[in-house]
Amino acid sequence: MGIDEITLAHADERDLTKLAEYEEIGGYKALAKARKLKPEKIVEELLASNLRGRGGAGFPMGRKASFLAKGTGKPTYLCVNADESEPGTFKDREIMLRNPHRLIEGCLITAHGIESEHVFIYLRGEYRDVFEVMRRALEDARKAKLLGDVTIVLHRGAGAYICGEESALLESLEGRRGQPRPRPPFPAVSGLYGSPTLINNVQTVATVPVVIEKGGEWYAKIGPEPSPGTVVFSLSGNVVRPGNYELELGTPLRELIFDLGGGIPDGRELKAIIPGGSSTTVMTPDQLDTNLDFNSVAEAGSQLGAAAVIVIDDRACMVQLALRSSQFYMHESCGKCTPCREGTRWMVQLLAKLEEGRADQHELDLLLSVCDRMLGKCLCALGDFAAGPVVEYATRFREEFQRHIDEGGCPFGGESSLEGIYAPVEQHAHAASAEVTA
Amino acid sequence: MSAPELVTVSVDGREVQVAPGTGLVETALAAGVEIPVFCYEPRLGPAVGACRMCLCEIEGMPKLQAACTLTATDGMVVHTAQTSEKAAEGQEATLEFILVNHPLDCPVCDKGGECPLQDLTFRWGPGNTRMTFPKRTYEKPIPVSPTIALDRERCILCYRCTRFSESVSEDGQLIARNRGAQSIIATFEDEPYRAPFSGNVIELCPVGALTSTQYRFEGRPWEIQNVPTVCGLCPVGCNIQATTREGKVKRILSRNHPEIDEGWLCDKGRFAFTHLYARDRIADPLLRVRRRGFEELSWDDALDAAEKLLREAEGRIVTALSGSETVEQAYALGRLLREGLGAHSALLPEETSPALDAFRLPLSAIRDAELVVVLGDEPPAERAPVVDLWLKAAERRGAGIERAGDALESCRRLADKRNVLGKRLRESDRAVLIWSGEEGAGGAHVAALARELGFGGKAGCGAFHLPSTPNGRGVADAWAAASDEEGPNPEPIGLLIVSGDEAASDPGVRALAEHAERVLVTSMFQGLAVGWADLVLPGTGYLERDGTYVNLEGRLQRLRRAVIPPAPDELAWVSKLAERFGVEVPPYASAVFAELSEKIHGGLAFGEVGEQAALGTRSEAPVAELPEKPEEGGDGLALVRYRALFSGPAVERVPELQFQRPEPEVELSAEDAEARGIASGETVTVSHDGTSLELRARISRELRKGVVRIAAEHAGELGGRVEVST
Repeated sequence: MGIDEITLAHADERDLTKLAEYEEIGGYKALAKARKLKPEKIVEELLASNLRGRGGAGFPMGRKASFLAKGTGKPTYLCVNADESEPGTFKDREIMLRNPHRLIEGCLITAHGIESEHVFIYLRGEYRDVFEVMRRALEDARKAKLLGDVTIVLHRGAGAYICGEESALLESLEGRRGQPRPRPPFPAVSGLYGSPTLINNVQTVATVPVVIEKGGEWYAKIGPEPSPGTVVFSLSGNVVRPGNYELELGTPLRELIFDLGGGIPDGRELKAIIPGGSSTTVMTPDQLDTNLDFNSVAEAGSQLGAAAVIVIDDRACMVQLALRSSQFYMHESCGKCTPCREGTRWMVQLLAKLEEGRADQHELDLLLSVCDRMLGKCLCALGDFAAGPVVEYATRFREEFQRHIDEGGCPFGGESSLEGIYAPVEQHAHAASAEVTA
Repeated sequence: MSAPELVTVSVDGREVQVAPGTGLVETALAAGVEIPVFCYEPRLGPAVGACRMCLCEIEGMPKLQAACTLTATDGMVVHTAQTSEKAAEGQEATLEFILVNHPLDCPVCDKGGECPLQDLTFRWGPGNTRMTFPKRTYEKPIPVSPTIALDRERCILCYRCTRFSESVSEDGQLIARNRGAQSIIATFEDEPYRAPFSGNVIELCPVGALTSTQYRFEGRPWEIQNVPTVCGLCPVGCNIQATTREGKVKRILSRNHPEIDEGWLCDKGRFAFTHLYARDRIADPLLRVRRRGFEELSWDDALDAAEKLLREAEGRIVTALSGSETVEQAYALGRLLREGLGAHSALLPEETSPALDAFRLPLSAIRDAELVVVLGDEPPAERAPVVDLWLKAAERRGAGIERAGDALESCRRLADKRNVLGKRLRESDRAVLIWSGEEGAGGAHVAALARELGFGGKAGCGAFHLPSTPNGRGVADAWAAASDEEGPNPEPIGLLIVSGDEAASDPGVRALAEHAERVLVTSMFQGLAVGWADLVLPGTGYLERDGTYVNLEGRLQRLRRAVIPPAPDELAWVSKLAERFGVEVPPYASAVFAELSEKIHGGLAFGEVGEQAALGTRSEAPVAELPEKPEEGGDGLALVRYRALFSGPAVERVPELQFQRPEPEVELSAEDAEARGIASGETVTVSHDGTSLELRARISRELRKGVVRIAAEHAGELGGRVEVST
C-alpha cells in the first residue's frame, strides 16, 4: 500500500513541533472527528484496527481499552508510558521530539474513547529536551483550547528503567518507590490511585489519530494481518546508517539492515542481531530473512519488543555483551523480589569472572542455572529480561563462552568491541534531583 | 445474614472448602498444607509478593505463582512444593537467592533458634551453597534508634518493617533506600526511628536484621522461658509474653489478642520493663529515723512498724490507690483497712462508671466501625496507644473519623436531635464513641451519650472511655467489694497510705501528705518514697504479680508472675498484717480472687479467666447523666495538659526510652498560630495568671482552634486558659 510513515509523517519537511504546521498537515482533524463520535465508537475502531501495543508486549490496544472497569464511581485514567529506557530503544524520543502534537492528539482521542479527563505522560527523566518540546506543545494546545475538559500532566521520572514497567510506573506516579505491584488486580481494574487505568506506549497512542481519521479497517490492512501498521524501528549498533526508520510491520530484517541501514561498516561480518532491545533474544545471520512483525519474530524464537534493532558485527565478544547487559539489569533491578535482586548481581559476578578468564567449567553451568532459577519466578518481567537473553547468548555462542574458559581469557582481548552497541552501565547514572526543573 | 457460598479448592490433592476471597496461604492451611512465607503478613495490608518463598503451581497458569497474592476461586487446583517438583525447585531457588548474601552468623545472631529463615532453610532449602563470591557487606549494626539495631547484611528485604511503618503505624519513618542488590532499610536522613510503635518491626522481622538493643546477646532460645501475661502500663492491657532468663525479664513480646491488640505493642509496653532493675529499686522496707534519713528494716520489724502506724492513727486513715494494683491486692488491702480498721476513706485514681457496661465492645470493633467520634482533645495514642492503631485501621477501611474536641460541650451537642453528626451516629449500625480526655466522669458521660443515641440496642455500636490508669476500674470495684460499710473522711488525717508508684508520683497525693500526721508508702523506687514517708514498704511491678486486671473494655484479664520480685509481694504482707487485726486474707491471688469472684464475678474460677480472655457480654447498667453545661471559657486559649505516653515512673527509669520523651513544646492550631504570627519551631511564651513558660511552638493540623496542648511534664504550673505570644 506504500504507507511508510504515520507517526513521523511529514516530520522531515516541516517543523511539526509548531501547532500551525501540524494543523496544516491535517493535525487535530481526527480529534474533531472523534469528539463527534460516541466513546464506544472510538474503542470499536481501535478493535477493528488491531493496533498492537508498541511498548514491547504487542497487546492489542482496543482490547486493553475494552477491559477497563465501568461504573466504579472512580475516575478513569490514561497513562502514556514514555519512560523509554531499554538499551537500544529511541523511537518514542523521536516521535515526541519531532511530532509532539501527534501524541497529544492521540491522548485526547483516547481519553475521549475511555471517558477519561485525566492523562498522565510519564516521561523518562533524562529526556530533558523532549520535556521542553512536549511542554511547549502542551502549552500551545492548551492555548488553542484543544484540550477540552482533559488535563494532561507531563511527569518526569527520576531515572529508573523499572518505571517503564506499567505497575511500577503507577507506583512512581503516585509518589511512591518505583516497584512493580503484584497482578491481579490489573490496571484496567485497579490502576492509578486504585482506579481503572489504561496504559499505553507513546507510539501506540500517537497512532490513534490515523486510526480514527482513516478508520480501523483501513489501518488493519497495512502490513501483515496479525500485526498491522507501521513501527518506528530504532536501528543501532554496527551499521552504516543507524537511526529511526518508520516502516510497515513485516519488513524483512535484511532490508532494514542492508538496504536502509547500509549494511555493516568497515567490511566486517554480521555476527548477531538483537531485534527488539536488550531484553529480547539474540538472532543470528541465518535469520536475516525473518519479517519484522510480532508473529514472525516470535516464530523465529525471539521478540519484536520495542523494535530496537541492534546490529552486532564480528568484533563483539558475546561474553562482554552478556556482561554489559547483566550490569544494566543489576543496576536497574528495583530490589523488590528476591530472584531478580540477588540473581542479577550473581550473574554479573559470574560473567565478570568468565570474561576475565578465571572461571571454571562448572561456573558456566552455574550461570545458566542461576538464569534458570530466575526465569519465570520473578514478580515482574525484569528478571526474565535479565536472564533470558544471557541464556541465549551462552547457548547460541556456546563455543565463544567455552573459549573464555579454555583459553583462560577473552579471545577478543581487552579491546572495547561494544562501541555503539550497549552503553556501559556508568552512563545510566541517575539524574541529580537538583537539576529537575519545576 | 446468609452464609457466603463456599468455593472448593484442591491443594496437593486435598479438597477444601473456603469462603471465596480467602488467601491461598490460608486456604492451603485449611487443607493441612503449609506454604512457607517471609514477606506475607496479612496484618500489613495487601500482599506484595516480594520474597517469592510461596511459589506454587496452579493448574491453568503457565508460570509459578506467588500464593500469597492469590485468593481462592472455585475449582482452583494448587500444587505446592510438597507435590510439585517445579514448585519445590522454585522454593529452593528462592532460598538459595536469599542465602547468597545472608551471613552465616547464626551462632551469634539473636534470632538464631527462633528464626523463620533458619527454619525454612532447614525444611526447604538447598543443602549446600554454590555462592563462591564474597558476600555483600555493610557497616553493622546500625542504631536505627536507641532501642532498635539494624544489621543490613542479614536483611532479606521482605519489606515487612517498612510496610508496618507506612501502613500500620503510619509514621512513615522506616523506608527502603537505593535499589536492586544495594537496597537497604533506613530512616529518612538517618534520623532515629522515633515513633510510639517502632518496636513492632523487631518482631515482624523474619531474620535477625532488626533486633532489640535491650535483648542483644542476652539469651538463647533454649535458655529462656516465655510467660504469657498482660501489660500493666496502660488501660488497654495488651497481651504479652515476658521472656525470662535466670529469674530476670529480658524482653517483652506481643501475644496477639485479635480483639485487643492484634499483636501490636507500643514501645512503652515493649521496652519499659527494665524499670524492674532500676538502680533505685527498693528491696527492703525502710523506716525514717529521726528525720535524718532512712534505715533498712527486717520484715518482722517492718510489720511491727506498720502495725504501730495503723493503730496510732485510730481509724483516721486515708488510702491513696494507684489504679495499677491487681484486683486482688486492692481487695485484700480493702479488707485489711476497711474491715480491720474501719478505714473506709480512699482516694481512687479516678472515677469509674459502670454505666459503660451496657455499651461494651471489643477494641477491634473500632476497626470495623463506619463512624468513630473521638471526644476530647487528648491524643488517644498518649492515653491508650493501641487505640490509635485501631483508629488508623478504621480510617484505612474508609470509616469516618470525627474529632470532636471540647468533650463536655460536644457530648451535649451530639445528644441534640438536630445535630448533624449526632444524626449520623443515631442512624449508623456500626458507630463508636471514644472519650479521650479528662472530665469524662469515668465514662459516665460517654455512656449517657451512647444511651441517648440509641446504641444500647445495636450490637455494632458502643462506647469507650480511655482512663488514665491501667486497672482503675478493677481497683475501684475491688475496694468497693471489700466492705459494705461507709465512713467519713477523717480530719485531720492520722495516716496516709500511699499504695503504689502512680499514687506516689501524683502531686495531689503529695499535697494531701502535707496534711497527714504520718505517711506509709509502698513503692518500687526510692526516688518516689524517700523524703516524705515515715515507712516505706517495697512495691512490685505487674510482671512480678499474679492476679487480674480489668481493662478499658471491661475485660477481666489474667496477670501471671513472670519473675519473683526482690521482696515479698503486697498480698503476702497485707495478709500478715491483716491477721494482726483479726482479718483473714489469704496470701495467694487465686484464693483472694475466689472470694471476690463470689461477690462480683458470679463465681468465675481463677483458672477460667483464660490466657486469651473473652469480653463479658453487655449487662444492665445504671443510667448515667449527660454532663452539665460547661462554663463559658473566657479569654485566651484552653490548655490541654496531657500525660504523655512516654512519661511516668517506669519510663523515667529506662535510659533507652529517653529519646521518646515528649519535647518541651506547645502545640497550636494553624489558625491560632497565624493569628499570633507564630511559626512552627519558634520559641514562644505561654502564660497564665502571672506565671509563664518558654516553649517551642509546633503547629498541629489535628488541633482545633482555641486549644493548645502541652505534655504535663513540660507544663509546669500552667492550667486553665493561657495566652501564647512570641
